[in-house]
Amino acid sequence: MRQTVLQTKELTVSFGGLKALNGLDFQLYEGEFLGLIGPNGSGKTTFFNALTGIYRPAAGSVLLHGNDITGAPPTKIYAYGITRTFQRLRLATSLSVLDNLIIGNQRNLNLGLWHNIFNRKSFKRRLQEQIQIAEELLSRFSRDLAVHLFKPVSSLSMIDRRRVEVCRALISEPKILLLDEPSAGMTPDETRALMDELQDWRAQYPTLSIILIEHEMELINKVSDRCVVLNYGEKIAEGRYSEVSNEPGVRAAYLGED
Amino acid sequence: MDLGFIAQYFVNGLVQGITYALVAVGFTLFFGVLDVIKFSHGDVLMLGAFTALALFLGLDQLASPAWLSLIIMLCIGILAMGLLGALLCKFLVLPLKESPPLNTLLITLMFGSVIRESVRLFFPNGSNPKPFPALLPEASINWGNLNLRLDSVILISTGALAIVVTHLIIQKTRIGLAIRAVAQDEETARLMGIDFKKTVLATFALGSGLAALSGISTGLYYQEINFSMGLMLGVIGFSAAVVGGLGSIYGAIVGGLLFAFLQTLGAIWFSVPAYKDVFAFAVIIILMAWRPTGLLADRSAERV
Amino acid sequence: MSELKTKLVLLLGVALSVVVLYGFLYLEREWEIGVLLVMVPLGVYFLKRANALTYYQHAAREMPRFTWISFALGVVVLIMLLRHEDFALLMLTTVLLYATVSLGLTIQFGFAGVVNFAAIAFFGIGAYSMAILNQHFLHIPDLLIIFFSGAISALLGALLILPILRTRGHYAALITIAFGILFRTFLEVNDVLGGPQGLRVSGLEIFGWDFGNSFPNELGGGSFYVAYAIVALVLLATVYLITRLIEASWLGLNMDSVRLDEVASASFGINGPRWKITAFMLGNCFAGFAGAVYAAMYGFIAPASFNLSDSLLLVSIVLLGGIGNPVAVIPAAFLIVVLPEKFQVIQEYRLLLFGIVVILILRFRPSGLMPRGLRQYFAGRFG
Repeated sequence: MRQTVLQTKELTVSFGGLKALNGLDFQLYEGEFLGLIGPNGSGKTTFFNALTGIYRPAAGSVLLHGNDITGAPPTKIYAYGITRTFQRLRLATSLSVLDNLIIGNQRNLNLGLWHNIFNRKSFKRRLQEQIQIAEELLSRFSRDLAVHLFKPVSSLSMIDRRRVEVCRALISEPKILLLDEPSAGMTPDETRALMDELQDWRAQYPTLSIILIEHEMELINKVSDRCVVLNYGEKIAEGRYSEVSNEPGVRAAYLGED
Repeated sequence: MDLGFIAQYFVNGLVQGITYALVAVGFTLFFGVLDVIKFSHGDVLMLGAFTALALFLGLDQLASPAWLSLIIMLCIGILAMGLLGALLCKFLVLPLKESPPLNTLLITLMFGSVIRESVRLFFPNGSNPKPFPALLPEASINWGNLNLRLDSVILISTGALAIVVTHLIIQKTRIGLAIRAVAQDEETARLMGIDFKKTVLATFALGSGLAALSGISTGLYYQEINFSMGLMLGVIGFSAAVVGGLGSIYGAIVGGLLFAFLQTLGAIWFSVPAYKDVFAFAVIIILMAWRPTGLLADRSAERV
Repeated sequence: MSELKTKLVLLLGVALSVVVLYGFLYLEREWEIGVLLVMVPLGVYFLKRANALTYYQHAAREMPRFTWISFALGVVVLIMLLRHEDFALLMLTTVLLYATVSLGLTIQFGFAGVVNFAAIAFFGIGAYSMAILNQHFLHIPDLLIIFFSGAISALLGALLILPILRTRGHYAALITIAFGILFRTFLEVNDVLGGPQGLRVSGLEIFGWDFGNSFPNELGGGSFYVAYAIVALVLLATVYLITRLIEASWLGLNMDSVRLDEVASASFGINGPRWKITAFMLGNCFAGFAGAVYAAMYGFIAPASFNLSDSLLLVSIVLLGGIGNPVAVIPAAFLIVVLPEKFQVIQEYRLLLFGIVVILILRFRPSGLMPRGLRQYFAGRFG
């Protein structure tokens, strides 16, 4: 039996009277690549926001390794080893690539006020370590990108920005990675390249679990081990993509949408 | 303290409150359509009062009767400030739409100080307070300790009428519909074929016209205006709009009356009159900490 | 570039700046200043065309500490050159103090994105603290009193933390504006603090040296302002160093991140409120230090010197220089303080002109005269 890493029970999020998530039961296993699909407004991003503490669930619970973490603030969630990317990139574009990456791993620079301000030597040593880690991580995704470590993010192309965002989420070596529609704004080729790079990463960190929100069904079919389909904030299907995609409820949800 | 005194305080507070509400409605309108704070609002108010004063001085030369002068002052003052508001929006606010909100706040703050300084420097003897003509009837009724001045009644009713008219414009007219649509969702409004720019400019004109009205009312009530009167009135109007809840007209009215009420309360409690503002602002700061989006907010201050 | 060459370039830059600053401060006739005003931008333009500016910037990035020390010494030279000129020294000291407050604002809204339109109120709190502490606690050394004045400023500012944290953007702006007005009104009506007439402040006495006397003859003699100018310079140099170290460390990185996107920052473990509070308190503390020295130098303070328009003036300095760039506030403070004093015509129209200048900057060059560059953690390569 595979081990459950993350579990939600009856998770409900409401905005005013509207229930964006309605009693969602959900499980994520260790090392799993899970596709989260559903029409626009079905509650996928809301689910991420509820998991990461940006929204507070109205009811239900979130369990990480069996421990209740419902309603924990985002800073705690990061400390538990859950990181994410955002559908509309949320990088600090005026800062350098390096700055953005070490924000992702910033707890490693937290040496306290004394070391940051007065003992610059130890800060410098730690920073150099971080620079090396960032450089290595970037070059695994793209050799060319590592050269731009000291350039502002605003000078990068879309796919490179996506890469930086994914790297920012990976640099702290999380247990769970939440990817919110990484294909948005990229060509299918670029998306495929990014997914291949991610698969390589997974091969090296087999315990990393990933939840991917995606509209490209082809992509979901290719990369996911399992799928969960949401509609109007409720789970309407679950299973391998090939099974799920044939279910009448799922087809209706998508056809109704298009 | 007897009922007459309380009634007197109430009437005075009401005149103040309506003035504040007029300013606050402007802030709420601008925030509604564009999510910006136009901080020069108070100075536009002051300029409105000075425009009216200049007109009066000119009309006085022509021996125009008081009522006619007043009507001309109101019409031209309101129109001129409406135009100024639209121009400000077109050249300073809209071009900064994509930059951080702080920039818009700063640019309008600075525009306010340009207006203020211009009046101080270029209006004849502008750095001193100017007497404003008493054009309203001076009759009053004495009722115990209550001295009900006719001009107070006129000012309160005019202010209330202006707010009601603004409300009707927004609820019942085509341009009002456009304003509401833009306030709701800019993108959708554009898709529905609403001229976004025109709507925003109209809103700024409307709000600035209201500021001119409250400037002239203030002049008529106190019979004195000065170049820095807008600063305080602007901050108070902004406070009123924020405390009521930006984006809501009712909030602006509630906020305006609340601020006047707090000042009145402060004036009763403290022997030193200037403490009334210290008291009112302190309460506002506490209220903001308690209800960050205002008492009657109909949406959050900033969208996530 | 070899080390020696780099140092020479940096020293040349300092020497050139000292000459220009001396010119601005020493010359009095309007046409002389006018000539200087035409020549400086021209000079900058030609230096820029000859790539000398970039060259200098590279040198400064390579040896930040040398740059900092040589500039501080350059200002010492400037002070000594002007040691008999009361008015020039007064202006220079005001520039140094205003630059100190502006560095506080740089941390507040340049780094952490906390708006503060009450900078002059915190400056004023420092000034009044100086006046009162110096009068009632004669046995406390004045250096400590300057320190306490900053601390009191930060602590009174802490009253605003809750409302500022709970609100955003315009709302937070309103709170600081309201606080500034509240502070001034409070001073005016409060008899204990001297009311509208204000308070007298006794001068500084540091290590047994009474600043009220003229500068000692053994050191070349000169106006008593020399001592204040040096204290203000030490203050600015210290505050600048702190600001730079914050920027070049994890603290500055976190503050920038919170300013740019608080939600995304939180998702990476960055505690937004913590950084906003730190920035706000630190900035107000800087303003308090500067206010304390200002009060001791003028010997007299009154509510009329702490207006909303002065807060706006300080914000203009930060904006004119370039938001978030600590170096930029120094030339900007110089321009905004000295030019109006030199042109009587401008003096009267000062606020009007600043208003117009800031509007033009916001409209056409929102990143200021010296836009902030990428973060440089250490000398040389990093960044």
